[in-house]
Amino acid sequence: MRRALLISIALISLSAISLSLGATEVAQSWRYIFDPFNNLDSPAHQIIWQIRAPRIAAAILVGAALGIAGVLAQGSTNNPLADPAILGTSAGASLGVLVGVLFNIASIGSVAAVLCAAIGALLATLLTFSLARSALQLITIGIGVSAILTAIVGLTITVISRPDARSISFWSFGSLALVTPSALVILAPVLVVAAALAWKIAPSLDLLSLGDASVKHIGHDGQRIRWKAFLILATLVAVTVSIVGSIAFLALAAPHIARFLNGPRNRSLIFYAGVVGALILLIADTAARALVPPYELPIGLLTSLLGAPILIFTLKKGGDVWR
Amino acid sequence: MALIEITNLNIKLGNRLVVNNFSATLSAGTITAIIGPNGSGKSTLIAALAGDLPVSSGSIAIDGVGINTMSLRETAALRSVVLQSRNYWLAYSVREVIAMGQGPAEIARIDLVLDQLDMASFADQSVTTLSGGQAQRVEIARALIRDSDIYLLDEPLSAQDSSSKERIIQVLQDLRASGKTIVVIAHSEVSALDWCDQLFNLGS
Repeated sequence: MRRALLISIALISLSAISLSLGATEVAQSWRYIFDPFNNLDSPAHQIIWQIRAPRIAAAILVGAALGIAGVLAQGSTNNPLADPAILGTSAGASLGVLVGVLFNIASIGSVAAVLCAAIGALLATLLTFSLARSALQLITIGIGVSAILTAIVGLTITVISRPDARSISFWSFGSLALVTPSALVILAPVLVVAAALAWKIAPSLDLLSLGDASVKHIGHDGQRIRWKAFLILATLVAVTVSIVGSIAFLALAAPHIARFLNGPRNRSLIFYAGVVGALILLIADTAARALVPPYELPIGLLTSLLGAPILIFTLKKGGDVWR
Repeated sequence: MALIEITNLNIKLGNRLVVNNFSATLSAGTITAIIGPNGSGKSTLIAALAGDLPVSSGSIAIDGVGINTMSLRETAALRSVVLQSRNYWLAYSVREVIAMGQGPAEIARIDLVLDQLDMASFADQSVTTLSGGQAQRVEIARALIRDSDIYLLDEPLSAQDSSSKERIIQVLQDLRASGKTIVVIAHSEVSALDWCDQLFNLGS
């Protein structure tokens, strides 16, 4: 409980710090942060509450969604290397959005894009799931499906010539720069419902860690549990990819760091991996927009640069967290 | 109380006939040992009895009902299984692993079973830090907290020291006395299996 409180306070504090940082320096930014109704029409207020705040909220929501997606991926495949990218889910969502944008039925961050991403994510996950005969095959076949879909997305983005090609390319590498407040209206409720469903099936994911035979021997169906987890995972990935593109490494690292913080139980992981994912993405995005203004650094590289050392440290120091 | 009838059972794995025309009747209130050299089909047979493997021909019936006609929940209600393989990669405690997926009635029996198998001293220890014998007892405990008519155990004594072996054998004998049907795969010499009621040698 104390750890949960501390990590939550860290997230809130970092959010406040992140509000004060950015390409444009805002004098006396703390006045606007701690008094949101101060001088509503001033440029400083607009920078902090209309430009930075939605982006910070998006970083927190997307980071939490990816952290929870990682828990579901690793729990359902019983494999510490699993993440939505490895299962083909992220690449399927990317292809779905790209098809939607190219056929002018969606724009990035819109409800239509979320639906396109959901269809792509579900079809890719279904393909991986239907071809695999075991939890291990899910990973190997998922890597194959992901590689094919990622190549299609990459080649398509390279050859297209249209006015919004640059923003599509920017999105494909993952960026929070294109987030709009309306996207948050989609993201927040989806995250809340998905997190609640993930919390509900979490004890079944604990059971899956003992292997499918042990699950079957007490009357549960491992594949059925996996399906439920994959549906929730695909929904989370679809909504995040459609808004901010594919962000590397976060879904892999957050569950491991969360296990180090509070053990392997999946119910606690849903909370801890969510907060850890939010923290990493918030720090990475703040660095992406504040380190070399007015340029924006690629967020995926920063999440890797930040998350990987923490992951390595936690696994080295984690003792018997997992072997 | 459960009667297991195995009739002319053949099981193929790939092109290899692993279980060849095996028949047996396993009565309630008995302990049956299945022995044989490596590769003789002992684990395959117990997997088929557990309903984990389809049979190529022949049949397995429990109280006259074919095991292949039962649902997942029906077979789970009838039998508990102890596997040889253990798959602990996450640091759950012993108590947590035993409780996983179980109902309130089973969870209420955990302390009793921990005591029966002399596991109380490492009940709150992480399963990733256990010795082979301790981990094997965790699997046995997972089976024993369930009140089943049939207990299928794949080499439950292979990693145990002599005092733990005696404890486990005593627990199995108590289950036999209460009318349970018990099948044990063993590598022991026949002379070391005098606590069993019947013995099948798949190598002969």
